[in-house]
Amino acid sequence: MTSSFPGPAGPVAGADGHAGEDLLAGYAAGTVDGVAVWSVEAHLTRCARCRAALSAHVDAERLAGNRSVLLVRAALPEGGRARRLLCRCGVPDHLLRLLVATPSLRRSWLLSVAGVLAVVAGEAAAVTHGWLGSGGHMVPPGMLDPGVLAPFLLVAPLLVLAGVAAAFLPMFDPAYRLAVAAPFSGVTLLLVRTVSALAAALVAVVAAAFVLPGPGWLPAALLLPSLALCAFALAAATVTDPRAAAVTAAALWALPVLLLAAAHVPLLIVQRNAQFACAAVLCASALVLLARHDRFDLGWTR
Amino acid sequence: MRPGAAESDDVALLRAVARGEEEALAALYDRHAGWLTVRLTRRCAMPDVVDQAVQDTFLALWRGACGYRGGGDVAAFIWGIGIRRLIDAIRRESGARRRLRWRAAEPEVVVSAEDQVLVGVEHGRLGQALAGLSPELRGAIEATVLDGLTCAEAAVLLGVAEGTVKSRCHRARVALRTALAGPPSGPDTTAPHREAWGTS
Amino acid sequence: MTLNVRTAAVRAEGLSRRYGATRALDDVSLTLDRGITGLLGPNGAGKTTLLSILATVNEPDTGQVSVFGLDPRDAAERLEIRRRLGYLPQELGYHRHFTVAGFLDYVAILKEITDRRRRAEEVARVLAAIGLERRARTRIRALSGGLRQRLGIAQALLGRPDLLILDEPTAGLDPEQRLRFRELLSGLPGDPVIVLSTHQADDIAAICPHVVVLLQGQVHFTGTPAELAATAAGRVWAAGERDTRAHLSWRGGDNRWRHIGNNPPAGAELVAPTVEDGYLLLSHAAGAR
Repeated sequence: MTSSFPGPAGPVAGADGHAGEDLLAGYAAGTVDGVAVWSVEAHLTRCARCRAALSAHVDAERLAGNRSVLLVRAALPEGGRARRLLCRCGVPDHLLRLLVATPSLRRSWLLSVAGVLAVVAGEAAAVTHGWLGSGGHMVPPGMLDPGVLAPFLLVAPLLVLAGVAAAFLPMFDPAYRLAVAAPFSGVTLLLVRTVSALAAALVAVVAAAFVLPGPGWLPAALLLPSLALCAFALAAATVTDPRAAAVTAAALWALPVLLLAAAHVPLLIVQRNAQFACAAVLCASALVLLARHDRFDLGWTR
Repeated sequence: MRPGAAESDDVALLRAVARGEEEALAALYDRHAGWLTVRLTRRCAMPDVVDQAVQDTFLALWRGACGYRGGGDVAAFIWGIGIRRLIDAIRRESGARRRLRWRAAEPEVVVSAEDQVLVGVEHGRLGQALAGLSPELRGAIEATVLDGLTCAEAAVLLGVAEGTVKSRCHRARVALRTALAGPPSGPDTTAPHREAWGTS
Repeated sequence: MTLNVRTAAVRAEGLSRRYGATRALDDVSLTLDRGITGLLGPNGAGKTTLLSILATVNEPDTGQVSVFGLDPRDAAERLEIRRRLGYLPQELGYHRHFTVAGFLDYVAILKEITDRRRRAEEVARVLAAIGLERRARTRIRALSGGLRQRLGIAQALLGRPDLLILDEPTAGLDPEQRLRFRELLSGLPGDPVIVLSTHQADDIAAICPHVVVLLQGQVHFTGTPAELAATAAGRVWAAGERDTRAHLSWRGGDNRWRHIGNNPPAGAELVAPTVEDGYLLLSHAAGAR
């Protein structure tokens, strides 16, 4: 549906009912005013030809610039619901984008962790409830044999440590040297990555701990050891080779758990004295980290 | 070019964009970014903000946040998204924190009945009456009636308080009614015009 | 701190670095000015170590570095250097699931471009400069080696650095891509200090007005490519047959033998030396030591 355009100041429109060049040029330049503008805009909504003609009056360089930026923004991944939720909570967008590079936040990693925890916790639950063969356990079904919890106690904090290690070890970051040479604070980058990896892993571990047949305080009791383990690994990484630090931390957890399991008292590792010890390790590690945080800026070159 | 052909091209392009074809997005941009930029610039003089709004509009089309359900011009559909993106951009620019409401999807584009009326009206009595309004009142009418914005959105666009928008719309309606009720020509028409040119 | 980016340069004095028993750098001193400097040397000569020290990624055992008057040993000044730096490490790895645009966006954040809009503009600018606009959505694992190399160069250009350090940027590029790379480097705005390393002399001859030859951790030559070629003047000759007195001989495309040596036979047909000839001669001399 076209309209006739007498025009505000005389016959500037073509006889075919479209907006004339002068009118379009005036509209683009902002010199046309008043009600005539509304008529032009109403016509443009319908007429592709006049729309194309109007484009000729817009700064081509500006249009091209916006076009290339648009295509870049369209090429960037949008991010899932979790990211949008965090954005609303006020987390800056650029920090969230940094997390894309963290292997321990990828779906494949998280699924593997969930899988391992499910198997270990599920097996413990199944044995306790008598669904699986008791495999030589002395305790009748329905009662809790603490030995059944040992695998979970061994594995769960190690999985948290693995997640954090993947966040800070250079071998997991292919573009690691770029990160070192860049002005963005190495400490911030590390914090963002390790805290996120820690949170994700802890959620999985605590959730699995609820499935576990055991004392009700077990999920909470796993928090401190996991945190202490990760803090120790990070602190040790400022002193020695990061990979060695991670392996040492893992060993420092595995050894006591295995020993206590062999002595049939696996739960001791998460009971009161051990919790105090973990708290002490956590504090000491935090102090070391504070004192040596500039190591993260230099890269682990020494 | 037959109007029908261009229109169906646009619909096809929109569908291709929804499918994730980047070339379709670029083609849609080439067709529509020009007029969108000009029309948005008339609402907001800051070129950076307009650029942002134009990018955000096509990005919204790309992300499929607003489903085009057919019927109505594609250009009008794009305008509906564009004007709201402009308001978002202005709001971000001016640092206003208040969010109007959580919109899960873009509202359906207002049928351009007003557009149809306007197109034939320019030099009729309504056109004269509109021309007689002061720029502020015309701006309020344009934002609320033509662009289909809520009073709160119009307030952001015009840079005034929401109450000011409401009062301007009211005064504009009064002035138009008076102008249309009076004789087409004669000394009486000066009275409504004086009323229209109030303060603020 | 005052920063004189116009006239100051990059200075290294007495740099030494050991890795266990091997001495990667041995008392290396050099000066870099605006424009392109080529670092020529074989693998293992210490080029990567030197560049990583200049890029503040590594620390020397002894010696000092000054980049635009800033000292990387001071944390605040090191940060300032990194703000003006673009670095392409050797064998840069990529997160394989990244797309081209996603990776550049990530690096742009590392370069402290926190505003989303400015970041998109920078990424668009760099993609256009390196000719990868059409590949913005391609996953990096689907790119060929040459394209990945171009992506590596592109990330170094983000943020318009004043100091561009490129470690083996032409590795994996075919001749046409090398040509475009040269055009790109010579057209960079802001006239940055550029240092690139290579073990191919024809790259030097084509791009670099200034060359430093690094052999076994030591600087053996500083000057222009013409001067490097001139060091082999009178010591390059051609013959129909192989000459055993020459240090190096090979048969050229025209089926004649080309010889490089310190003692050309009397009456030998001397040929004009190339940059590569000068480099080979130096390299042989260093090896003989």
